[in-house]
Amino acid sequence: MAKLTTKNLTKHFGGLVAVQNVSFSISSGEILGIIGPNGAGKTTFINLISGIYMPSSGTIEFEGVDISLMPACERAKIGIARTYQLIHPMEDLNLIENIMVGFLFAGNKSMKEARRLATELCESMGLRDLDREVSQLTMLEVKKMEIAHAMANTPKLLFLDEIMAGLNSDETKEMIALVKRLAKERDLAVGVVEHVMGVIRELTDRVIVLESGEIIAEGPYETVSKDKRVIEAYLGGTA
Amino acid sequence: MKRATSYILPVALVALGVLFPLFFGPYPQTVARTIFKYMALALTWDMLFRSGQVSFGIAGFFGLGTYAAALLALKAGFSYPLAILAGALISGIFAYILGFLVLRLRGTYFSITTLALAEIFRVILRNWTSFSGGPEGIVLPQIIFNGDSRCLYWIGLAVLLVVVVVSQYFEKSKLHFSLISIRDNEVSAQTSGVNIFRTLLVVFTVTSFLQGLIGAVDVVSVGYAMPDSAFDSNYTLLPLAMALLGGQHSTWGPIIGSVLLGVASEYLKLKIPYGHLLVYGVIIILVILFMPEGLIGLFRKKKGAKRG
Amino acid sequence: MAHSKKAIPWIIAGAVGVIGIFLWKPTVLVYGVQRAGLYASIALPMSLTSGILHIVNLAHGELLMVSAYITYTLALLLGLDPLLALIPTMLVMAIVGFILYELTIRKALKGPELNQLILTFGIGIALSQIITLIYTNQTRKLHLDYVSASMTIGETSFGIWDFTFVALSILMTIGIRMFLSRTKLGKAAVAVGQNPKGASIVGIDVQKTYAMVFTISVVLVGIAGSFFLTRQSLFPSVGSPFTMKSFSLIAMAGVGSISGVLYCSLALGIAEAIINGIPHMSGWSDIVFFLIIIITIAVRAKKTRKI
Repeated sequence: MAKLTTKNLTKHFGGLVAVQNVSFSISSGEILGIIGPNGAGKTTFINLISGIYMPSSGTIEFEGVDISLMPACERAKIGIARTYQLIHPMEDLNLIENIMVGFLFAGNKSMKEARRLATELCESMGLRDLDREVSQLTMLEVKKMEIAHAMANTPKLLFLDEIMAGLNSDETKEMIALVKRLAKERDLAVGVVEHVMGVIRELTDRVIVLESGEIIAEGPYETVSKDKRVIEAYLGGTA
Repeated sequence: MKRATSYILPVALVALGVLFPLFFGPYPQTVARTIFKYMALALTWDMLFRSGQVSFGIAGFFGLGTYAAALLALKAGFSYPLAILAGALISGIFAYILGFLVLRLRGTYFSITTLALAEIFRVILRNWTSFSGGPEGIVLPQIIFNGDSRCLYWIGLAVLLVVVVVSQYFEKSKLHFSLISIRDNEVSAQTSGVNIFRTLLVVFTVTSFLQGLIGAVDVVSVGYAMPDSAFDSNYTLLPLAMALLGGQHSTWGPIIGSVLLGVASEYLKLKIPYGHLLVYGVIIILVILFMPEGLIGLFRKKKGAKRG
Repeated sequence: MAHSKKAIPWIIAGAVGVIGIFLWKPTVLVYGVQRAGLYASIALPMSLTSGILHIVNLAHGELLMVSAYITYTLALLLGLDPLLALIPTMLVMAIVGFILYELTIRKALKGPELNQLILTFGIGIALSQIITLIYTNQTRKLHLDYVSASMTIGETSFGIWDFTFVALSILMTIGIRMFLSRTKLGKAAVAVGQNPKGASIVGIDVQKTYAMVFTISVVLVGIAGSFFLTRQSLFPSVGSPFTMKSFSLIAMAGVGSISGVLYCSLALGIAEAIINGIPHMSGWSDIVFFLIIIITIAVRAKKTRKI
């Protein structure tokens, strides 16, 4: 069953259309890739789902409930989580405290409980020395922290915005395995925005392609990657 | 073990504070009372600042509490304890209502609007002569506890302790996390389930309630209220400088800062009657430019260096 | 075109209002315009710093006050007319502005916005306290014959000296516009104001531009300060309300809009004069600015949120 469904989702800023008539759905346990050239509206799309932006028109349904106008903090509570392309952790909190935030507020847990759950989560993801300042973390650890930070919402739906960018190939492999395992263990619906096609091929069950805010192709990676319009979009030709 | 030792210092300080009037006369008591007042205000300012919002409206809610308590005591015949509580409540209620307007604003706009609010309160109380006594203000028939300096000292201390306890609660509870996450990254705070507006509304209301409480206790301790003294911009300036010097975003910072600056200013006031507040301006400039973490920050750095 | 069409109802409403006030109390109109001139000549320099350096200088009113005191001192020491003392005052203010920028603002520009706000708040306090140290709280005033010049039309007579503020504000507007559009530094300043990174890529010295613009704005507020002295009594806190008033005008006009400051000053100057014109209401006129600032800020905040 579809976890999240959008219908004709549209967002414009003044006269500029960022996302247009996007209708799609994603189910539990599914990993969906979202690709498209720069400026295609991928991040705006995630911002709409997570409630950072309110849609100009169209609807978003989560578990059959219309959440189009629900504020972001409420969406976090019903099980929607995301990471950010530009990772900007809370610098005045250390590693474990950063993870606790989601448990405390999205999960409404007590301080003691949040610390326990955050520790458990971090350990399961291979993060150690949890009292370190965030400035001391390696790139891979920062990325893992970003995912853990989102997972602290105990989400049913998770969007990852270019989480692999800047990692080397070994690290990327580790992250792919991690995301797959999380999705499977927790029966998550996962949306992945990535630029590296190898990652999309490895990780996703299905792909949607955005160009100028619209879906131009949808299907398994193998099919989509051969689609003429997709190739044109990536080569910069106007369809 | 660690728990027990961490209580020794605060308990000793409170004991010292309570016993102080047994060893010192009225003048030191008055000085201490003034310091307590500014210390409490500095803490309330810092509590909101922990969320990254700079209020220039401390004097506004302090003055609101002052006038509300004085007018209720004088015109509605409230007993002093009741008037104090009502003064604080009115200040808090005003903040709650105005919060719907100002807490949508950020940065400079928030700060300037809080300053404008304080000015509006002042202009209204200054000009609504039939209600507030106008520029000459109002005089209460008597000072609380008949002006007994020890009792005045203790009630000042009691108010300070209330503020310290609330500040500690802010630091030890979930609020600590929501405030920091609002300060560091509002967008990400939202998607982690932090209701930013509601959190800020709670903090703004609580801190304004406390500022009103401090003002209300002050007015029954001095016996009069005038628009230019109740809304004196020093009530904004001094607490801000004290909190910054001691170290922002903590309970200890404003406490240390206000002891240092409070004692220094008392001394300077005698030496230099005109212009001693220069110290506050210079402190603010120096702290912002060279020591943004304040004195507490220097201590923390040293500790960190030792550990590292 | 669309812009001018939108303005038509406003212009009509304004004209009707002006005629109404004229029939009611013609002096209100005169004093309103004069007030507007004063407010605009103080706010315009602030508009320059907030438009290009993107800082709100909370010491702005204090700089006005400092300049007035400098002019006062020069006038007393050298026996100069304040309008002659204006020239050395400008020089001193240029030095003050440059030093302030180099020692404090420059460093704070790199930091968070709130630090800049608190910093300039501190600078304002320091300036007013330095003046208090030197001159105490005593009120100072120069007595000049020409400021009491007046004029009578029909049955109403009014002071005309304050029209110099109107002239000053118009000259300042023209001057700032010419500076921004005609001079090399001005053009660089516009570029830096819009996009400092881009400007530095094309070879503009951003730091130097900031320093010059800040200094110019301090000199301009210094000029306003010298004129301010001709009319007003001085005391150390005389400048501080003007920080708020200038900020209100800029927030209302929209950051960076020079002519907008002029129009908004006119509206608020007349609004204040109207309240002053009603018997027993003069004390309330201060509230005009504070209410306007809260309303405009709230409306603007709402607009930005919708986008």
